[in-house]
Amino acid sequence: MTCRKLRKLMPLLAGDDLGPRRTRAVRAHVSACPACLRELEELREALSRFKAAAKDESVPDWSEGEWKALMVRAAGGTARDGEKKRAWGGHVLLPRWAAASALGALIGLVVLSVLFRGPGPGPAERPDPPLALADAGRAQDVVSMTMVSQETGLQIVWFFDKNFDYKGEQE
Amino acid sequence: MVLSGRAEAFEPLVTPYRGPILALAYRLTRDREDAREVAQEAFLKAFRSLGRFDLSRSFRNWLFQIAANEARDRLRRAKRERAAFEAAAREGIAAAPAPEAGRERRETRSGIMRALDALGRREREVFVLRDLQELDIRETARVLGCSSISVRVNLSSARRKIREAIRRDFPHLEEGR
Repeated sequence: MTCRKLRKLMPLLAGDDLGPRRTRAVRAHVSACPACLRELEELREALSRFKAAAKDESVPDWSEGEWKALMVRAAGGTARDGEKKRAWGGHVLLPRWAAASALGALIGLVVLSVLFRGPGPGPAERPDPPLALADAGRAQDVVSMTMVSQETGLQIVWFFDKNFDYKGEQE
Repeated sequence: MVLSGRAEAFEPLVTPYRGPILALAYRLTRDREDAREVAQEAFLKAFRSLGRFDLSRSFRNWLFQIAANEARDRLRRAKRERAAFEAAAREGIAAAPAPEAGRERRETRSGIMRALDALGRREREVFVLRDLQELDIRETARVLGCSSISVRVNLSSARRKIREAIRRDFPHLEEGR
């Protein structure tokens, strides 16, 4: 290794930041080169004093009040986040609960209606056949009986269905 | 406990790092007010992100990473604001002093901070984490999200510049007086 190449590596060597292979090569050179050794030691010393001066330097620090306020802010932020989450969660859960309740009620109604269903409506009843004195198409379903008063000549027709249930009359 | 959302467990967890995080923020932003805001935001972000913290990692380095990212974002914002202000000033729109410039002028800058001014952003990040916060190369790379090679290149350059700044501005440090 040449002095020129070593000087390029010297800043890393000064902080022991070279890999083991290069460190071995550099040390071999430095041990045989007083000029490089002196330069390396000066650099190490300067950096070491700089670090010490930096440690002694007045850097800002937290006052207790500031620090507490920050921690409260962190905790408060979390609490607010939690509330927000709960609020959002509630917002989202509310329709879920509502939907679940509605579904439950619907199922209940269906079950109840199945369990307690009365006799279903029978076949649609036919409307009463129109009363007609002479309806050939319904002659077999409707029976009429005509009564004529001998005194007044008044005539009345009674209608009956095929079961002889009374269906109406016509004068 | 704090990972499960217990806020009261957060303070004892981060109290040992309150000083180092603020110091890191100060050395990266080179401004006391900015450093305080960066550190505050870093702690708040750390708390919010605790659920995603990888337990196999160093908690201290994780905090450093958040603070370094926060400081970088703030410096970028400040740079953009300054550029916008300067553009406006060139066009004669604004006559007031730049927002950051005033604060920076008021800041009493220590020798250390003036030496750090000589470094580029990445060089400063690497130098502060490796030499002042004493992380190793791999930890520094992880905190900054870059390769170990990049850390070594920037560290080498930063130490060289610091050495020049010491020779130029702080000969007493070099001579050990």
